[in-house]
Amino acid sequence: MAIEQHYIDLINADIDGEISDAEKAELQAFLDGSAEGRKLHEELASFCAALDGVEPEDPPGYLRHVIMNSITPARPAEESPGFLQILFAAPALKYAATFAAGVFLTLSIVNSGQVSNRAFDDVAGLVGTMADPVNAKLASSISVDEVDLAGTVSLRSAGSLLILDFDLVSRDHIEIEADYSDPSIWFNGFAQLESSGTSVSAESGRVRLGMEGKRRYAVFLHNKGGRQTTVGLRFKANGEVIHEARLDYSPTK
Amino acid sequence: MSRTDDTNLIERCRSGDRAAFEALLVEYEKPVFNAAYRMLNSRDDAKDVTQTVFLKVFENFDQYDPTRRFFSWIYRITLNESINWLGKNNRTEPLVFEAADEGRNVEQAVDSARVSANVQAALMAIKTDYRSVVVLKHILGCSYTEISQILDIPEKKVKSRLYTARQQLKDALTGMT
Repeated sequence: MAIEQHYIDLINADIDGEISDAEKAELQAFLDGSAEGRKLHEELASFCAALDGVEPEDPPGYLRHVIMNSITPARPAEESPGFLQILFAAPALKYAATFAAGVFLTLSIVNSGQVSNRAFDDVAGLVGTMADPVNAKLASSISVDEVDLAGTVSLRSAGSLLILDFDLVSRDHIEIEADYSDPSIWFNGFAQLESSGTSVSAESGRVRLGMEGKRRYAVFLHNKGGRQTTVGLRFKANGEVIHEARLDYSPTK
Repeated sequence: MSRTDDTNLIERCRSGDRAAFEALLVEYEKPVFNAAYRMLNSRDDAKDVTQTVFLKVFENFDQYDPTRRFFSWIYRITLNESINWLGKNNRTEPLVFEAADEGRNVEQAVDSARVSANVQAALMAIKTDYRSVVVLKHILGCSYTEISQILDIPEKKVKSRLYTARQQLKDALTGMT
């Protein structure tokens, strides 16, 4: 015999702990006289306990950092934003704003053992070359979720430029090697959101970076002709590799 | 976190205090991620939705009604964003599942190490309206009244959706294993 909907509702409310004393007494009276009711109650209680017992998933370790990095600090309401503040509100333009400083920093510490020296012929040209990351296309990206290092690295393309976008947080000093085997690709510049804290050096087919803490920076590679390529990434702590990944660029993407 | 704690943090967030926002993030990141994951059945999608939810919260503190609990606001945004995500990816229709086999006991289906995967698969087999109430009740631990506020539907409807959802989940689980 089917159980009346009213009692099914009472059974559910009882299991959810949302039943009044009067309803509880009514339900008990029903259950005392209904084996079918008791079976349903037991079955539902077991089922709901199973649902309640589903283990929660842990979010990726880097997610909190990514979210905090993606919010823009609020400004006092009474302060009217100036032209430059509006101009540099876009992340890409923040890169541009720090790029000149980044170029000088790069020029001062880079080991120029790379195949081509054309990358540093014209600093003004470099700034112009990276000026359109707004239209850069995402080629591939990876997530890192290690104990000592978390975040994302993306590879974007804009014309003849490949942009390695690092958004990472590390507990201690981390070294990163970005390898690109294609000899026609060369290091073309570096920009960072923070004013300092990341070191960079380039040699033939490889860029080495050093960082610690929360860092957002970009490495620019010149890829004339938009050739298909792969960038291998190796993350090291205390000289030991803690994470490896690769980013692929294909002109069809 | 208490209502007072939330209110204090939100006041500080409104004045641009990043540390206060990070405290809210620490408190709600996991439940938001889990709600999105149970709605979407994908860690990658849940990660993206979680990020979107917190950005929306950050950008819309002015729209938050302080007479309501903060969690009801952020959970509502989470469910809406998850449903929007499903719509954008053409996954609004539930998966097809076989009808229950009357000879199989429900406990046999749920009482195993595979319970989480089975429940998740069953969740994806029911409509998003029903999935939402199950997520709020069993994943986030909300009461009928809280679910009613979050979904903005009468409590009577919450009960009816929840009971129907459970029946459908049971059917899906028993037909699954």
